[in-house]
Amino acid sequence: MLPIPFVQALQVLTVAGAAPLVSGVISRIEARLQGRRGPRVLQPYYDLAKLFRKEALAPEGASWVFLAAPVAAFTCYLTVPLLIPVLTTFPLPLSYMGDILGGGFILSLAGFLVAVAALETGSPYAQLGASRAKTFAAITEPVVLFVVFTVALLTATDLPYALAATVRSSAGQIIRPAHVLAAAALFMVILYETGRIPIETHSGTNEFGMIEEARPFEHSGPYFALLKWGSAAKQLILYTIFINVFVAPWGLAAGRQPLAVLIAIVALPAKACVLGAVVAVIDNSFAKLRLFKITEFAAAAFLLSVLGVFTVYLGGG
Amino acid sequence: MLPAQAPTAYVGTANVIAVLILLAEFGMFRQALLRDQIRLYAAQSVLIAGLAVLVAAVRQLPELYVLGAATVALKAIGIPIVLRRLLRRTYPVHSLEAGHDIAGSGGLGLASTVLIGIVVAAFGFFSAKVLPVSAGAAPVTALSVSLSVVLVAFVLMIHRRDVASQAIGLFSLENGISLAALVIAASLPLILEVALLFDLLLAVVVFGLLIRLHHGRADTLSTSGLTELRG
Repeated sequence: MLPIPFVQALQVLTVAGAAPLVSGVISRIEARLQGRRGPRVLQPYYDLAKLFRKEALAPEGASWVFLAAPVAAFTCYLTVPLLIPVLTTFPLPLSYMGDILGGGFILSLAGFLVAVAALETGSPYAQLGASRAKTFAAITEPVVLFVVFTVALLTATDLPYALAATVRSSAGQIIRPAHVLAAAALFMVILYETGRIPIETHSGTNEFGMIEEARPFEHSGPYFALLKWGSAAKQLILYTIFINVFVAPWGLAAGRQPLAVLIAIVALPAKACVLGAVVAVIDNSFAKLRLFKITEFAAAAFLLSVLGVFTVYLGGG
Repeated sequence: MLPAQAPTAYVGTANVIAVLILLAEFGMFRQALLRDQIRLYAAQSVLIAGLAVLVAAVRQLPELYVLGAATVALKAIGIPIVLRRLLRRTYPVHSLEAGHDIAGSGGLGLASTVLIGIVVAAFGFFSAKVLPVSAGAAPVTALSVSLSVVLVAFVLMIHRRDVASQAIGLFSLENGISLAALVIAASLPLILEVALLFDLLLAVVVFGLLIRLHHGRADTLSTSGLTELRG
């Protein structure tokens, strides 16, 4: 039996440790689909190690906020794994600190801090990215809210553990339209939040289409490393919520036996890589939306989430 | 408040198919090319046929298999072919792409239209809730979805100002009615259902003639010029 605080800490360490691996696997799959050899799967780790060894520079006139924001944002990203089912089926003590909305708030706080740091730089590209990211975040926020409403109507609570338990309880819970619609809407939000193809090119250098990727333009050295690591961690956190709460909450540890926890630690990155492969296929099969068409993407996600609430609230589905 | 009960596998699957039909209806708001619009209608009809097969299998009504087959043959294959053939002549010779293109015929932006569609669909859901239908094991959500499909098809016909989308809107409205019929009156005599299908065929021919006539007179698929005909 592992002590509870140790399992709780393992949740954070799993997310922080596996996040660059998932990013590496996705970019590798993406490269193979395009007929390239692609970078090594471990490349993000080497990138991080290199960046941590470099010196850090700050633009003239930038205040302490510019340097504090990457650290604070990274802390936010590592707080969320305490709240969601990463390794266990049963709620760990600290997971009662916040519900799905609480986790969402912490993720938005991190996004806000990065945007503020981008504004501090005075560089037009970073500011443009920050402004765009906040503008479109305002349109995707209602989608997240309606997904949470659907979850709340299905489980009478908005704890992520409760929905995962509901999904595991019977097959009828998975094929009900409200659940399918909420999961689809959440997937679209995740595509937006992780900066994947219908919204922006993940690894491009085309400044005019950049949203999320433009924000850390002026950061360098360890601070840039923290931002990169943070965005990989955010991606894995969102994947974890999608997989372990909505789509496939299997393979989690039901107890505190070392073997069960070990299986859960291996299963999470494996499931995340499968989801990442799906995302890579989407990346390669669609074109990037024009900036002003992103509202249409958000409208489609909003439609799915609202219909999800309708079917369960008004129609009993 | 208690957690919502899980539906049975049959009810859940039927509801999901119904919701997909509604989503196809919303998808028609977005289509910018005529042949994509027709393809989406065919996909929606295939979903209806799938629902018919599901109901047939679960409630042991073998005549619904026939209905499913007839739906695929007529709505997913027949009508799209007829429509395409009727519309082929309407492509203007000088600008080949412009004839395929029904984009921008909407009176409003896409996001606004979707929001209006959501409001109208909500009205459909509410009105189904008021109806005194206690179908027991029947998928009640699918019934409210079918009302929403009909209403959203109306929005499509009202806001698109081209004859082709209006015709597709009418045909997909009929899909919504078939959905309702399948859900609440699955044991409707087959002869009635087939009669409905052939009614639709008639509508296709009439609409096709109308499209050809309109195109012959106005040299466009757009109906926005018709307002100038006021005496």
